[in-house]
Amino acid sequence: MAAGVAAWLPFARAAAIGWMPVATTPMPIPPQEKKKTQDGLIILNVSGTKFQTWKTTLERYPDTLLGSTERDFFFHEESNEYFFDRDPDIFRHILNFYRTGKLHYPRQECISAYDEELMFFGIIPEIIGDCCYEEYKDRRRENLDRLQDDEEMDISNEAAPVNLSYREYLWRAFENPHTSTLALVFYYVTGFFIAISVMANVVETVPCGTMPNRSKEVSCGDRYALAFFCLDTACVMIFTFEYLLRLVAAPSRYKFVKSVMSVIDVVAIMPYYIGLVMTDNDQVSGAFVTLRVFRVFRIFKFSRHSAGLRILGYTLKSCASELGFLLFSLTMAIIIFATVMFYAEKGSAHSKFTSIPAAFWYTIVTMTTLGYGDMVPKTIVGKVFGSICSLSGVLVIALPVPVIVSNFSRIYHQSQRAEKRRAQRKTRLARIRAAKIRGTNAYMHFKQNGLLIDSLEEASKKAGQALVGKAASPPFESQHHHLLHCLEKTTNHEFVDEQTFQANCMEISVVNKAGSRSSSLSSSPHNLSSCCSRRHRKKSSFSLPSTNNQELSTIQIRERPLANSRSSLNAKLNETVPLKCNQPYISPSMVSLSAPPVTSSDEDSTTTTAYSQSNIVRVSAL
Amino acid sequence: MGLVVGTFSVQSKPVNFHKDNADDDFEMTVVCHRPEGLDKLEAQTNFNKRELQVLYRGFKNECPSGAVNEDTFKQIYSQFFPHGDASTYAHYLFNAFDTGHTGSIKFEDFVTALSILLRGSVTEKLQWTFNLYDINRDGYINKEEMMDIVRAIYDMMGKFTYPVLKTDAPKQHVDAFFQKMDKNRDGVVTLDEFILSCQEDENIMRSLQLFENVI
Repeated sequence: MAAGVAAWLPFARAAAIGWMPVATTPMPIPPQEKKKTQDGLIILNVSGTKFQTWKTTLERYPDTLLGSTERDFFFHEESNEYFFDRDPDIFRHILNFYRTGKLHYPRQECISAYDEELMFFGIIPEIIGDCCYEEYKDRRRENLDRLQDDEEMDISNEAAPVNLSYREYLWRAFENPHTSTLALVFYYVTGFFIAISVMANVVETVPCGTMPNRSKEVSCGDRYALAFFCLDTACVMIFTFEYLLRLVAAPSRYKFVKSVMSVIDVVAIMPYYIGLVMTDNDQVSGAFVTLRVFRVFRIFKFSRHSAGLRILGYTLKSCASELGFLLFSLTMAIIIFATVMFYAEKGSAHSKFTSIPAAFWYTIVTMTTLGYGDMVPKTIVGKVFGSICSLSGVLVIALPVPVIVSNFSRIYHQSQRAEKRRAQRKTRLARIRAAKIRGTNAYMHFKQNGLLIDSLEEASKKAGQALVGKAASPPFESQHHHLLHCLEKTTNHEFVDEQTFQANCMEISVVNKAGSRSSSLSSSPHNLSSCCSRRHRKKSSFSLPSTNNQELSTIQIRERPLANSRSSLNAKLNETVPLKCNQPYISPSMVSLSAPPVTSSDEDSTTTTAYSQSNIVRVSAL
Repeated sequence: MGLVVGTFSVQSKPVNFHKDNADDDFEMTVVCHRPEGLDKLEAQTNFNKRELQVLYRGFKNECPSGAVNEDTFKQIYSQFFPHGDASTYAHYLFNAFDTGHTGSIKFEDFVTALSILLRGSVTEKLQWTFNLYDINRDGYINKEEMMDIVRAIYDMMGKFTYPVLKTDAPKQHVDAFFQKMDKNRDGVVTLDEFILSCQEDENIMRSLQLFENVI
């Protein structure tokens, strides 16, 4: 029920007096009217913009922030108003919702900002009015798609090759050729052979000069039959091999077999095999020749190599209804005009319009403004209708074309945007990474300066770095650093930077291979070494090592320095391992800091440091 | 071919446009109504200034033009009774509110009626109710009029009731009503009979006081 109508409830209740004489049973007691709150004005100060409304207006929706006692948390005593540190432009719409009962979505606002405001004020987005609901849903869907794209890219970048089975690795190599050199080579080789095969099909039919014992010119295909046959065999073998490999590697074979690309593959290589099987019989050779036509489908295999072709195909698919309409209207027009032309030209002698189907050809040629001139009307009536036909042809064809074009443009721009986002992502991540490193370096410097104050001997050594840190740090920074310091003290571990950690890592792998350790430790260095080596391998093959993804995820939870603690905690672990190898010293194990708090260290004593995809870091208890 | 069809349709378009334009102009001439001054209304009704303010704000919110026509009235009233169909009863209510038979309820009519219903004396209330039941305004309530009213009330209940609504339930109700109200058994109920019978009935008297504190 709209809130505005609630104002009419007293009227509805009063009108109920009309039922009283008709009623035979006594009426129920009315609800106790609680003490009427004075209907006063409420001042809502949203970031300086003052809004005022009646208290009862806000109380129409008691399950929102403004309508319930939750707003008391925002009451500002000194100015006797409710202060909200939010966006006043969006607040306007929210207040209008209370006033009119309809929530509108402003087109110029960012969808996520708007959603946040709605969530803050406790309003569910489903009540957005009909006028703005479509727009809201569209924008929301776009945003979700964008987020999903980002996630998918994350996932595809994160997947460490070792964790995949051989089959998955193969499939991934096929789908994303850039992932490994072998895949890239295979990609280009198949592309080359597709081109060769198509060109061979074309050149085969070119006349190649006369043979000595024949007067007619023969095509190159007949002259060099063996050469072309060998070339064809080679191409088909490559294609067959590729197809079988894809079939083996596909995660869902049934879905793969149904897909368009695989159908094209099959159609491309079938003629060859059918030709092998069939004998050189005269009756079937006609059919065999027709089959060779299908060899031209090999050119469609290029769509795996070209995104533009795929977009074109996708556009045509999505415009299927428009194309269908075009076809239908053209057919109608052709039939009508062909009939008219036939009857118009029936009278003239030697008319080429021998039947209505014969007139179809004339109609098509005229409507598409080709005008070959092989069939031309001779009577005046025929010419009149012929001109009407060509004029209407232009219209009928021109109408659906812009729809198809706009569809293509939309899809093309979408894919361009996705590409641009992908490209910008790298720079964006690099920037984030640089900012992080600055932050961690700040802490390092602070720490070193802190030590400076404690031990004056170090002062001269670290003079250079001290200059940086000596600059007056704002209170926020100093409190933050103090917090990190407390954490270090709590865990008896210290933060270090990457290079130091890597150095320690190498040390560990050397040291632990030699030494004999307790079982709890033996497993960990194994993984440590593997983790380090993995890191190195990763560094070579990927531009974004997985640590960046870890850091990325921690940025999302806004615990910047703590993220650094992850890598550095490991560093610390490795530092302490050689130092305290002989003492049965148990360092408190740390729980993961990332969003999924999966492990508790009590679970397994042999928790390992692992740069796994789940971004959980577990430290082994020594 | 499409061209041919297109030209035909283009021909008929202008006629419709012309008509629509004329209608639109007519619609635009609906004037906004402004009520009489607050003091005057306060004198005419039994409400004080603050109550009138609250009432007017609610009224104007739903009907910015200042007057309610029957469709809007039905729409508003139906929102309170989502189970069934309140439009018939709303129609009778509208006629009872619209004392001047102008086709729209202005704020003065609205407030006058509310004043009677909420702040009026028992006699005034009963008179208003009699007016509501007397559909053709001839001074008598006959059985058909009562049947219409009772059926309209039952319509507001909707289909899903417990116990299940029988088809002759309104008729029985009306018979009981006439049994009680029609003193001289002449088949119609006059105003005096109505008021007298209601004053004798304890339940009715009590229920009339039910909605006094609504505002």
